[in-house]
Amino acid sequence: MQTWKEFDANVITHSAAHHLMAVDDLIQRLGYARVSDVARQLNITRGSVSISLQPLKKAGLIVQDENRHLRLSEHGQALVDAVKVKRRIVQRLFAELLGVAEQQAEIDACKLEHLVSNETARRLISFLRFMDLHRDVAAEFLGRWRTVDPSCGEQAAACPTCEKECMARKVSDPPES
Amino acid sequence: MSQLSVDEILQELHRIFAEEIEAAIRYLHLANAVRGVERLVVEPKLQEGFRSTIEHAQIIARKIRELGAVPKLELSLSLPPDSIGARAAFELALTFEEAALEAYQDLLKKVAGDVALEEFVRSQITIECEHIAELKQLLAE
Repeated sequence: MQTWKEFDANVITHSAAHHLMAVDDLIQRLGYARVSDVARQLNITRGSVSISLQPLKKAGLIVQDENRHLRLSEHGQALVDAVKVKRRIVQRLFAELLGVAEQQAEIDACKLEHLVSNETARRLISFLRFMDLHRDVAAEFLGRWRTVDPSCGEQAAACPTCEKECMARKVSDPPES
Repeated sequence: MSQLSVDEILQELHRIFAEEIEAAIRYLHLANAVRGVERLVVEPKLQEGFRSTIEHAQIIARKIRELGAVPKLELSLSLPPDSIGARAAFELALTFEEAALEAYQDLLKKVAGDVALEEFVRSQITIECEHIAELKQLLAE
């Protein structure tokens, strides 16, 4: 399957991930989660929550009992735990290592948490572990890396990273009008 | 008297107002998304659902106004451009109608003691129950 189609076919959409995490969070805080609680937590209507929960129930990720209380299935809980770990590692990578502002790192981690594969997550954990275990090497590496200007200017042809054009220029924010 | 302050009642009414408006939009969308030979029968029912939920939203808006506020609406809604069969359309309608009923039932518990509000919520519950019963009949094998 082409990658972009795989992205669309992902069972765990951004919204689904937030519904699952809301259920998990409510159960941890209150000991229970109902549709109305999820609606309040996500600031959406109960109708929206009920409709969004349908595919998650069909996929066996969420179970609703006779008292209409929601709980995560074993599979659902494993998925939520994995998404939370992915959010944490992406956030750490962006904020602590790459130096992205905390708030932006949190926003970007939230966007990526459900899309990162387990394989990539394991490699990222391994990388973070290396940086944590070898703080002196990490400090030197990061110190040297932070002196590098991401832009190669007009010298893209001679740049070992860029291809035809300077990549950093392509991702620079437009000037404020 | 109700155990809720006017502000808390307004908050609840704003939530139900959003439920009704969103349900109306969903009915309108479903009425135009439904396909198949049953469309001729199903579409008028869904259009009727649209009109009825908009009417409910108007009643709630009037109640909000009576309490001295202006209706507030925050919706986060994304509806797919996919066609849908008659049964699936009614199943979806049943899902959001049941959610609206639960919202009214919760509100009823909270306004216990305020006779006027209680009566108002009870009448809304009756109407929602009728909608749900009709949808269940339509979905019955």
